[in-house]
Amino acid sequence: MIVCVFLALINGILIGASRAINGRLSVDVGVVRASFWNHLVGFIFLTLIIILIQGVGQLTKLTVPPFAYLGGAIGALFVLINSYVFKKLGAIKTALLVISGQMITGVLIDYKSGHALYTLGQCLGIVLILLGVYLSKNASLKLPQTKIRVNNLNSANFNTSLEK
Amino acid sequence: MKIKSIDIVMGILAGVLLSLMIYCNSIVAKGSTPLSASWFAHLVGMVVAFFLIILFARKSNTIHPENKMSRAPFGAYLGGIPGALTVVLASITVNGSLKLSSSIALMLVGQVFFGVLVDVLGWFGIFKRKLALLDYSAILLILIGSIIVVVFRP
Repeated sequence: MIVCVFLALINGILIGASRAINGRLSVDVGVVRASFWNHLVGFIFLTLIIILIQGVGQLTKLTVPPFAYLGGAIGALFVLINSYVFKKLGAIKTALLVISGQMITGVLIDYKSGHALYTLGQCLGIVLILLGVYLSKNASLKLPQTKIRVNNLNSANFNTSLEK
Repeated sequence: MKIKSIDIVMGILAGVLLSLMIYCNSIVAKGSTPLSASWFAHLVGMVVAFFLIILFARKSNTIHPENKMSRAPFGAYLGGIPGALTVVLASITVNGSLKLSSSIALMLVGQVFFGVLVDVLGWFGIFKRKLALLDYSAILLILIGSIIVVVFRP
């Protein structure tokens, strides 16, 4: 079980790593090309993994409903937007925002499938998430704590110093 | 430096898209395996990205720096490998002894933890950023909120 805990954490780190690597690449070649390279390399890698572990035979059983094409297309878009946000906001905020989007979508899907009682509890979580998103917009990662003027509590001044 | 609302919206949109993508892929995976579903998704994504390049990015959006020293290293092209690995790992942990909500929560923690390292230590060539109190609060709120959402899943 401790192995699974470890693997799940590693999984999260891998997600963060792919985000950071693609973001770095997109600085050089742009977000669209970065998405292309991500999918190409991932495709080659998965082909190898399938040949080594699963066996090519499984692929022939692959039924491809129209859904499947949508998943891949959305994926291309996702990496594109992810790299863009990574360049603008950095690793932490990107991770937090993507997670927030996932949670909100999850709750909406759960609500639509008619589990109102549970989603009431989930709403509390969503409120916290939205509060966190609001805070992350108004915090500047570049301002160390010491630079905020604590002796001048005039809120107008406080806001302008954050906006500059 | 002011953070634009549009960037925030894009970040959340990315999360929405990711959920939709996982949902689509899981449907395909039911008929076969997660590996095959992801393999196909990568293939489609590759083709779609290629067309996006032709449509929108044919003129160099490329900003290859003149100075060779500041160019991305070869490793920057390998972002697809950890991305594909997550599918492999997810398939392993799903059949493991961990509850789904726990593994999701751990993945969230892993992502944010790694993000903190990248931002604070300046890995992957981005500018080092210092964390302010509000940033810690945002991290805590979103993590705790997410765990609540996951725990209360029907």
